[in-house]
Amino acid sequence: MVALPNRVLQDHDETTFMRPVSNCAGCGDTKVSWSVLEGMKRFNREHELKGKNRYQVVYAADRGCGNLQGYHAYHIVDTIFCMGSGVIVGEGLKESCSEKQIVVTASGDGGYNFNISGFKFAAKNKKWGAITIVYNNYNIRMTGGQIPLEVDFDKEGKAMGFEVLHINPYHVDDNAELFKELMGRYLNKEKTMVVADGVCVVDMAKDTKAVGLNLGHFVKSDECLDLKFKEERERVASEEPEKLKDLPRFKCRLCGIGLRCHALLNNDPTLCFGCGACKQFPCPVGALSFEGPSFADSTRIPELLTMYRV
Amino acid sequence: MNKGTNLNLGRVRLSGNQAVARGALEAGVRLATGYPGAPISDLQGSFEQLAGNLRRASPFAIKVGEALDNANYQLTAHWGTTTNEDNAFALALGAVICKGDFKSREFLTEDEWDLVYGDTVFSEDEEKRVPVGSRVMCSFKHLGGNTAADAIRVAVNVVPYTGGLGIASGDDRQGTASQTMQDNKVLFSSHFRIPTFELHSPLTAHQTVKNCYRLFEELGTPFAVIMNYDLSYREVSVDLAMEVDLGANMRQKGFTRDPKHLVTIGPHIRPRENKFHSKLIPLFRKKIGEYFDFLGNKVQQLGERPRTLLLLNGPFREDFQLLRHDPTLKDRLLKKFGGNVAVETTVVFPQPESLYKKLLSKLSIDRIFVFEEGYGRVIYLQLLDLVNRHGLDAKVFDCGIPYEPRIYERFSYIDHILAE
Ligand code: SF4
Ligand code: SF4
Ligand code: SF4
Repeated sequence: MVALPNRVLQDHDETTFMRPVSNCAGCGDTKVSWSVLEGMKRFNREHELKGKNRYQVVYAADRGCGNLQGYHAYHIVDTIFCMGSGVIVGEGLKESCSEKQIVVTASGDGGYNFNISGFKFAAKNKKWGAITIVYNNYNIRMTGGQIPLEVDFDKEGKAMGFEVLHINPYHVDDNAELFKELMGRYLNKEKTMVVADGVCVVDMAKDTKAVGLNLGHFVKSDECLDLKFKEERERVASEEPEKLKDLPRFKCRLCGIGLRCHALLNNDPTLCFGCGACKQFPCPVGALSFEGPSFADSTRIPELLTMYRV
Repeated sequence: MNKGTNLNLGRVRLSGNQAVARGALEAGVRLATGYPGAPISDLQGSFEQLAGNLRRASPFAIKVGEALDNANYQLTAHWGTTTNEDNAFALALGAVICKGDFKSREFLTEDEWDLVYGDTVFSEDEEKRVPVGSRVMCSFKHLGGNTAADAIRVAVNVVPYTGGLGIASGDDRQGTASQTMQDNKVLFSSHFRIPTFELHSPLTAHQTVKNCYRLFEELGTPFAVIMNYDLSYREVSVDLAMEVDLGANMRQKGFTRDPKHLVTIGPHIRPRENKFHSKLIPLFRKKIGEYFDFLGNKVQQLGERPRTLLLLNGPFREDFQLLRHDPTLKDRLLKKFGGNVAVETTVVFPQPESLYKKLLSKLSIDRIFVFEEGYGRVIYLQLLDLVNRHGLDAKVFDCGIPYEPRIYERFSYIDHILAE
């Protein structure tokens, strides 16, 4: 008799777990995640809700770029199941979550097309409010650049029963304010569909390059706490190297971590994709700004061209 | 928090579909989702009427509805509104994963609890209580299982957060109102690999459904109950005495974050799938064996020195009851099979191996006859596998029929069992 090898599932199957999942610097998906969380914080602050009285976001997502990063980087994502299921799973969550939990759902435009009837259900379900985010990259680009089914969110969303709101994903502060407002409207059983237009910077940057438009980059002034600290570290390294081990590696990095952007984390403008989210990020010392054209000006390339007269 | 309420509602006619609804309500189900289609529309229609979405028309819905209203029973039903079975199931999934409450263990040992809940956010609970939330039922006809397959398969990766979710499948194996005569036992047991049961009578279906909720909620897994076309519609008269678990119905709501379980991405699901197949299914198998009677199954010896095991499932089991009333049938049975052990079982998957191994070794049984309906031969194949894997000295015979005969075929299940 031939002895079969004793096949054991090795732990190394899990090496992928160690791989940091990372969206591109400037990815619009991540910016929306930041704004949702920030919006919830601001809502609680505005209503002076503390401790147990605070509201919480429960975030039911679909499969795709934005939500993967949302999970790994922001820890905002609570559920990801099947393609297109986020919106309807969210309706189920509403049935059984607490009154202090606000369910936000997030799908790509592919997921929207995949399960438009789920959206319709969310719009028609009189029992609850709804905040459904659609990450609109105008295409199902990540999976190979297929030609998508044309979507007119304004007409379709309205026909279903949503108020359709378009946002520029890179207006992070405005969007945080909007989500703060939407949290209240959700509790009032209102139905909103937030369409985040132009979330894929990689794709849009290709297009801007093709038409000869060079996007700008972030700028940090000398006031930046991290840059100041970097100088201090360099001084200690050359003058008192024995003390270096006692120093933290960085001082602030609020913007880099908040926006999950490698360019900011490395203080390297050459890595900047030019999304423009830095324009609105609330740096505690006002040290962050942006120079030149960016998708914060517009996510529509012809509009950008007109603005910058290329 | 076990607040039981007894409702005595007098004589009522009850179909198989209504019996399943009764079981779900007795278990305290708070959300019923589904998508219509013969033969199961009647089940979801009952929930819709009970939840107040439709006018209460059937005597069952009128009587039960009034009693549940008086008890402040909470019920939400979504039927056609979900537009398809996949959405109906995803809706159910969202509702069942919220675990805002706890109950104490009834069925699990501490070690078993560690196995089921040890890698969840509840693992630190000192009393090793069971995290619970809304009990949910999702129902559809056999073909709906195909439509909902994506979501149901994912539910396996979300175990144990899916405890408290029951699926009812109305199988049209007659092809009376469908384009295929699909055997959903294949789908639920061989593909999804969740505990699967075939019901056989409107008199007992509620008890099986209710007890499945109790047992499998603790085990953290969804379960499926299947009815054939005839059972879905067949009516019996019963004295409707319901024991409703109001405590389960009124549990505290709340979502507890556990993205390692609830975000189904590769690194999370790989160990989970592995655990499900290698550890949890054996545990389900063991518990089904331990709670065999509780789940509505029966083992009886007929005649002396039994050397034959008869496994009777679904409609075969139902017709087997006729032996009680007609002694000539029993004589014919003994003449055909000699002394035997008859296992009247609702269990489709996973079969309680230890029970069969014990019977085989204790009673020197060397022939096993499996009577089941449906082309999947799911029970037969499991018994065959059991005998082969353990090197048991017994032969297994497939005595099932591949589809459900229609009325004009004048098929008799008991005659099939007793045929020479
Ligand atoms: S603008 Fe800011 S967030 Fe956007 S890519 Fe550049 S550095 Fe990153
Ligand atoms: S490819 Fe596009 S959508 Fe995906 S992470 Fe990069 S920028 Fe975001
Ligand atoms: S948030 Fe402001 S201070 Fe902090 S690292 Fe960014 S630019 Fe510097």
